Amino acid sequence: MQRTLGALALATIAIGTIIGLFIVPADGLQGEIQRLLYVHVPTAWVGMLAFFFVFIMSTLYLVQRRLDWDLMAASAVEIGVVAIALTIILGSIWGQGTWGVWWEWDPRLTTTALLLIVYVGYLVVRSMTEDPDQRARWCAVIGVIGFVQVPIVYLSVFWWRSLHQPPSSPRSMATVFGFTLLFNFAAYTIGFAYLMMRRYRLAKRELSLELAGPDAEP
Amino acid sequence: MKTALRVEGLTRRFGRRWALRGIDLEVEAGSVVALLGSNGTGKTTLLRVLSTLLRPTAGTVEVLGCALPDGGAPVRERAAFMTSEGHLYEELTGRENLRFTARMHGLTVERERVSAALAEVGLEDAADTTVRAYSTGMRKRLELARIGLRPVELVLLDEPFASLDDDGVAIVQRSIAGWKGRGATVIVASHRVAQASRCANRLVRLVRGVVGEDAPS
Amino acid sequence: MTELVRRAGAILWKDLLTETRTRQGLSAMLSFAALILFLFTFAFGADAALLSRIAGGLLWVAIVFTGTLALGRSFQSEELAGGARLLRLYPGDVRAIYLGKLAGNVLLLAALELLLFPATAVLFQVELLPHAATLTLVAFLGTLGFSTIGTFFAALTVHLRARELLLPLLLFPALVPVVIGSVGATVETLAGDPFGRAGGWIRLLTAYDVILFVVCMWIFPVVLEE
Repeated sequence: MQRTLGALALATIAIGTIIGLFIVPADGLQGEIQRLLYVHVPTAWVGMLAFFFVFIMSTLYLVQRRLDWDLMAASAVEIGVVAIALTIILGSIWGQGTWGVWWEWDPRLTTTALLLIVYVGYLVVRSMTEDPDQRARWCAVIGVIGFVQVPIVYLSVFWWRSLHQPPSSPRSMATVFGFTLLFNFAAYTIGFAYLMMRRYRLAKRELSLELAGPDAEP
Repeated sequence: MKTALRVEGLTRRFGRRWALRGIDLEVEAGSVVALLGSNGTGKTTLLRVLSTLLRPTAGTVEVLGCALPDGGAPVRERAAFMTSEGHLYEELTGRENLRFTARMHGLTVERERVSAALAEVGLEDAADTTVRAYSTGMRKRLELARIGLRPVELVLLDEPFASLDDDGVAIVQRSIAGWKGRGATVIVASHRVAQASRCANRLVRLVRGVVGEDAPS
Repeated sequence: MTELVRRAGAILWKDLLTETRTRQGLSAMLSFAALILFLFTFAFGADAALLSRIAGGLLWVAIVFTGTLALGRSFQSEELAGGARLLRLYPGDVRAIYLGKLAGNVLLLAALELLLFPATAVLFQVELLPHAATLTLVAFLGTLGFSTIGTFFAALTVHLRARELLLPLLLFPALVPVVIGSVGATVETLAGDPFGRAGGWIRLLTAYDVILFVVCMWIFPVVLEE
C-alpha cells in the first residue's frame, strides 16, 4: 500500500512537472516564470490541507485522548510547514519575476507567512515537552486555535490591504493551464498522503522508542 | 463498612517513567491510612490521581463513590488535598488566603468560618500578616486551617510532617485525629514511618509504584 | 452561571490584592510602555507630522509589548503558590479561573491605557478628547481581544521551558486581527474618520473577540489538565 502510493506519487509529480515545464506553452503575459505556479499553487493547497488535517486530528485527540491522533497531527504539521515554506519561497521568486519585488503585502502571502509561524510555534512547543500526554494536549490546543484564527487573520489582512490597493487576484486561466494545475493538485495530494503515511509510521516508532527503556514495563 | 476509595490496576506513566505500575487498594470509610515508601515510589502521584488532579494512564479509580477522572466534580467538593509544597499566596495574609479558599468553595458565612478555622490552629495573632513572613510551621498550620474551613469526607496529606518541629508534628497529628473523629477518611503519604504510623490504623507501603506491603497498624 | 462569575470574582479579588501589594508591577509596566514610545520617536525621527499620523499604531504596539509582559506575570503568581493546576482542586467549572485571570488582565491593561493614551496624545500631538467615546470603545474591544487570547496562551505556556519566548511566538500571530482592527479604528478615529471606516474595524474587532472568546472558553479546561 505504502509502496504503491509512493510510486504513484513519484510518477504523477514527475509527469506533472514535465507537463508544466515542457509541454504547456509559456504564459503570454508572464512568460516562463508563470510555470512556477504549477508547483506554488499545489504546495499551498497541500499546506492548507495539512493544517486542516491537523485541526481535525487535534479535535479528535481532545475528544478521545488517543495518542495516535496526536501523532497524525504532528506528522501533518511537519509536512504542512515544509509545503508552506516552499509555497512562500516559490511565491516570492514568482513575485520578483512578475511584480518586480520579492515581498508584497498581499493578504494571502501575509496570512500564509503568519500561518507558517503558528505551526513553527507548534513544533517548538512539541520539542520542549517530554511527557507524551502533556505534549499531545498542548499541541492539540494549538492545532485547534491556530486553525480557527486563519480565516479571520486573512480577512483582517485583506481589509487592511484593500484600503491601499485592490488585492491581486489570479486571472482566469485557459483550459490547458487549468488542466495542468488540476493534474498537479492531484499529484501533490497523493504525495501528501504518501508522506503522511511515512511520517506517521515513523512517529509511531519514535514514540515507542521514547516510551521504551529499562523502566518501561508496568 | 462503606468504602471510601477503590483503586484497581491503576497505572500512571510520565513519558517512559512509570510512576504507578498497577495499584490495587481499597480503603474503608473512616480509616486513617499511612502511605509509606521512600521518595519516588509513587506516593505523590497516587495522591494526585485520587485528588482528581492527575488523569490515570489506565485502571479504575473510584473515590467517594465517583469514578475518576470524568466524574471528579463531586470529589472536589467533598475531599481535600494538602500538597507537600503547599498552596499559599505569599502576598496575601493568612486570613485572605483562607477567604480566597472559602470563596472558591462557595462557602456561606465566610468570615465566621475563616475566623474559626484560624482559631482552630492557633493562628489568630498572625491572621493579618502576609504569608511571606510565616515560618514553615505556621504555613503548615494555615494549610490545615484551609482544610478545616469545610466539612470533608476524604483528606489527602502529602508529606505533612516534612521539616516540622515536634510541636508542628503534634498539631498535624491532632488535626488527623480530629478528622477521624468526624468520620472522615485520611490518607497520609510520608517517608517518615514513625510519625505517620502513630496516627494511622493501616500501613500501606508502596514499592516502585505497586503496593508492596499492607498491614494494620 | 452565577457560580462561575462568583468564583471568577474570587480569583480577580485575589489577584488584584496581590497586585496592590506588589505595586512595582504596574509602575514598571508603565515605564516600559513609555520607553517604547520614546524609542519609536528616536527610531522614526522627530517628524511631528509623521508621528501624529502613525500615533495609533505606535500606541497599540506599546500596549501589545507591555501587555505581553503583564500576561506572563498573571500566571507566574500561581506558579509561586504551588502551580496553577492546583486551582483545579476547587469545585466547579475551571473556566472560572480563565474568566478571573482574563478580567484581571483587562483591568491591568485598562489602568495602563488610562495613562498611555494621554501620554501618546501629548508626545505625538494628537487630539483625544473630541473622540473620547469611540476611542474608549476601541480601547476596550482591543484590550478584550488581546486579553482573551493572551490569558489563554499565558496559561498554556506557563509550564513550558522558555515560556518568555514561546508566549509571544504563539500569541502574536493570533493578535494580528486585534492589532489591525484596533490600529485601524484608532487611526481612522484620530483622523476624524473621514471615510467612515472606523465602524468596519470596530465590527471586525467585535467579531474576533466573540469568536476567540468562545473557542478559548471551550478549550481552556484542557490547558490546566495534567
